[in-house]
Amino acid sequence: MLTGVKYVIGLIAILLIWAVVSLMISSDLILPSPAKVIGTIFSELSQQRTWEALGTTLAKVGIVMLITVIFGVFFGFLIGLNDTLYDIFRPAILIMQAIPIITWLALVMFIWGIGWTGPVVVSILALIPQTILSTAIGVRTTDKRLTEVAKVYKVRTGKVIRDIYFGSIIPQIIGAIQVVIGNVWKVVVVSEYMCGDDGIGVLIAWARQSVAANRVYAYTFIVITIGLIVENSVHRYTKKILEGWEAA
Amino acid sequence: MINETGTQKGYVTLVKVEHVSKHFEKLDIFNDLSFEIVAGQTVALLGPSGCGKTTLIRMIADLDENYTGQISRNYQKIGYVFQEPRLIPWKSVYDNLRFVLEDDEKINEALRIMKLDGFQDYRPAKLSGGMRQRVNLARALLDEPDLLLLDEPFTSLDLHTKLSIIEDILEGKKQRTFSMIIVTHDVREALLMADRIILLSNKPTKILEELDVSQVPKDIMDAEFLKKESEILNTIVRRWSEV
Repeated sequence: MLTGVKYVIGLIAILLIWAVVSLMISSDLILPSPAKVIGTIFSELSQQRTWEALGTTLAKVGIVMLITVIFGVFFGFLIGLNDTLYDIFRPAILIMQAIPIITWLALVMFIWGIGWTGPVVVSILALIPQTILSTAIGVRTTDKRLTEVAKVYKVRTGKVIRDIYFGSIIPQIIGAIQVVIGNVWKVVVVSEYMCGDDGIGVLIAWARQSVAANRVYAYTFIVITIGLIVENSVHRYTKKILEGWEAA
Repeated sequence: MINETGTQKGYVTLVKVEHVSKHFEKLDIFNDLSFEIVAGQTVALLGPSGCGKTTLIRMIADLDENYTGQISRNYQKIGYVFQEPRLIPWKSVYDNLRFVLEDDEKINEALRIMKLDGFQDYRPAKLSGGMRQRVNLARALLDEPDLLLLDEPFTSLDLHTKLSIIEDILEGKKQRTFSMIIVTHDVREALLMADRIILLSNKPTKILEELDVSQVPKDIMDAEFLKKESEILNTIVRRWSEV
């Protein structure tokens, strides 16, 4: 059976289970029916404010992705090349990784209050340690036999970094991008919910205040759909890069 | 004329190993090892597996600096044929060569000499073991080295490929004089390629004997070659059993 067909069957099964559980609970406040949520999705998508919020969230996701990947890879590369830097920064990065998002949210709110900056900064702080560590570990596990070849033939440092180190960490960078993509939506939406003034997270916060569970589900469904589309596209693209890179 | 240290008088010394010792924790690897390699000469370091031949060649190439004594190097460029090809997996054959020297003319020439024409766009994983080793060799010879180091380069190759590559190396040496140090535990390889064989003992490694084999015909079908091979094998059995 085709993967696409199985995928659709899976989705239908989820909708059916959802419909049955919703009937059993029989409370729109806890779990509205799929029909009601789908109706809300269409009604929300017909409103400009939803598209504006979606655009804002997407912009934040893009900025977070860009800064996290560029800065994370750069910094990870730097500390991966140098044992002393790695030993100095590793504990700080591990601590940063263990800090709960809620702590970052509190600190960011003290500094920037409610607004656009908070969710972006919190998301970067939450996602960057993993990118830095993945890249640094990739650099540190570079095949030393290849760097010995470079030493024997006196290959210049810039070329060694570009052709050996950077080549070696491509799988780690792609892995880090996939992890960031998988998490960035959740982190941005939570941050918007807590300290944003615009975006899907804020719409969810308003829906909660209005006790409109169907809207909470509808916004979540929209975020999940876009998130999956983006994740899937990036996954396909990175898989292609990785296949070209391995080219066995 | 070979003197007591095994070097030819009046020739330029390319590598001079003086009183070199190396220890790893409580294990003595080398103890007071001394020998010289002169320009144009091919020396085979022949010793049992695990005696530290690779360590010694790495020390000569300056890849291992953890030893006492002195190694003087009087060469500008070296080529190193590693035991395993050590090619960059995500680069083509051509780009692997370009990594060490950005000279398209020389790369194309090296590809032609090593019979790699038509394979320049292949990645290492697509090549056979013999082909990969040819790329390893092409890379080593690319920048016209003064000294070529070969670390058991034929271990994983069949006899036909091995002989073919040896022929290519000797042909390359005819076209342009360079020195070679080959590390091996195979008497035939040593005899085919070397002018001089340094027979090494097991750990702690020392020089048991130095043999001048420059006059031996480099042909495995030649009676004199086979006779010399047998003599060396007898010497090895005798000297290794003494240690």
